[in-house]
Amino acid sequence: MNRALPEMLHCLSGPGNGTDITVLERQRTRVKWQHQEQQNYFVGNFQDLVGDGRCGSVLRHVVTHSVKPDPGFEMNSTITRTSSCPHTEAQVAPEAKGKVSEPAEKMSSTVGRESYKKRKADKVQNTKVVAEDDAKDKRSKVCAEEGESKITTEQTRTKNTTTHPNNRETSADTSRENSKASEVQKPDYIHVRARRGQATDSHSLAERVRREKISERMKYLQDLVPGCNKVTGKAGMLDEIINYVQSLQRQVEFLSMKLATVNPRLDFNIEDLFAKEIFPACSANFPTIGSSSEMTNPAYLQINPAQQMVACCGLEMGVNTPDLMALRRTISAPVSLPETYFDASCFTQLQPPSTWDADLQNLFNLDSNQGRSISFPSQPFTGSIEASNLKMET
Amino acid sequence: MTPKGVSLNPNSRKTKFARRFIFALSRMRNPIPVSSSIEEEVRTRSHKIKIAAYLSMARAVGSRRAWSRALLFKLRTRARRHNMIIRRRSFRLKKKRIIKNDPQGEPSQTKKLRQLVPGGKTMDMCSLLEETAHYMTCLATQVKVMQTIADHFAK
Repeated sequence: MNRALPEMLHCLSGPGNGTDITVLERQRTRVKWQHQEQQNYFVGNFQDLVGDGRCGSVLRHVVTHSVKPDPGFEMNSTITRTSSCPHTEAQVAPEAKGKVSEPAEKMSSTVGRESYKKRKADKVQNTKVVAEDDAKDKRSKVCAEEGESKITTEQTRTKNTTTHPNNRETSADTSRENSKASEVQKPDYIHVRARRGQATDSHSLAERVRREKISERMKYLQDLVPGCNKVTGKAGMLDEIINYVQSLQRQVEFLSMKLATVNPRLDFNIEDLFAKEIFPACSANFPTIGSSSEMTNPAYLQINPAQQMVACCGLEMGVNTPDLMALRRTISAPVSLPETYFDASCFTQLQPPSTWDADLQNLFNLDSNQGRSISFPSQPFTGSIEASNLKMET
Repeated sequence: MTPKGVSLNPNSRKTKFARRFIFALSRMRNPIPVSSSIEEEVRTRSHKIKIAAYLSMARAVGSRRAWSRALLFKLRTRARRHNMIIRRRSFRLKKKRIIKNDPQGEPSQTKKLRQLVPGGKTMDMCSLLEETAHYMTCLATQVKVMQTIADHFAK
């Protein structure tokens, strides 16, 4: 089944009748052919593919819903020259040209570029970045069905690249070289595309990849830093970022000063803090910066038992402090035992036990030391007793 | 007691940081009043609180990020050095390591950014920007949590 694509299309359509095949059949044959090409060297079939003008027209047909005469073969040639694909990172090297991609993606693949492979330490990142870029391109172009302008620009680019047979041959040569280079099939090759009119040596390509990464990160930072939309350019952005980070650090310092001046006899009511102060207040104040994902997808626990669990876990964990023993004596003995079991179970459910939890109960002890009041922990205790009873029953 | 309908994510960075920080704050009990002035006391305490905040944030993030690792390392070495000095009163020369990176980027701003972000001196531009982004989000949560705590105690 190692036929060239035009042959397969001919088989479908019969001699001389290229337009009778449905679009779907063409696509299917193309996909099949692409699969085949993965195993073969692309090189031999490249010329055939380039010569087949009808394949490209099919793709354009899909996008624009209109039949047009054809720079289609250039589209086709670019399809065959896809280099990186988000799905097949591992097979990047062996797949010189034939990539598994959907017809729509193929059509929107970047046009007029030559593929170039090279090695890098952070290969996976780079492949991902390049793949991301490609995926973004593909997605954006697939979605813009009515965006003929994009397609026309692609067309012009393809026209420029492959109108002349000389260009095609040179590109075929380079592709042949590249495919030969890909003979050394190592998994850490990265496919980088050189745009038309840009240098194709490894250094400039590496530079381009680096620059693209940096610009991508800068865009992300631009979203993070508030009020950064007006500033453009790297220098201004960096200034804004530096100012923002400095202001945040200054705020931390100021707040630490404020906390230091607060009465050090800190009445820690952790329950109240967590329940009332921090999270509702923070949910109101927090912009959607880092915590948005955490806030919007919270693990909805049963709140009251959870709070009580937190409190009583802090209370029950360490058994060694005298204060805790004093507190425990206030509780009836038979209840205290199931409470420990309850705590062990709930604790593992809630969060992994860590040393700070033992100290959380020191917190309460601190408070009880200062206040010598059992009334404070009584509320969580009653809650925990109820909860423990529930646990016992279940 | 606890208002209903409040969702609590026990695994979020914010809760982790909040708990660690509150715990650290609680540990700082009222010290025996030193003979030094109140201002100095406040200053030292605020410094401790600041360090506790950064430490708890770095711990909440864990070792996943380069900046948190760098920050933890820095704080630990500082603590060790502090202890050494207290115990042995040994003089240690501060060695300044000058690591020059690729000077192609904007020199002044990149340098500043490297100084701001912990661990930024040895990063290339790309990862520096990434770490800056993450560091900024963590700083923002830190500030908000500290703000609410301060507000709570100011009442």
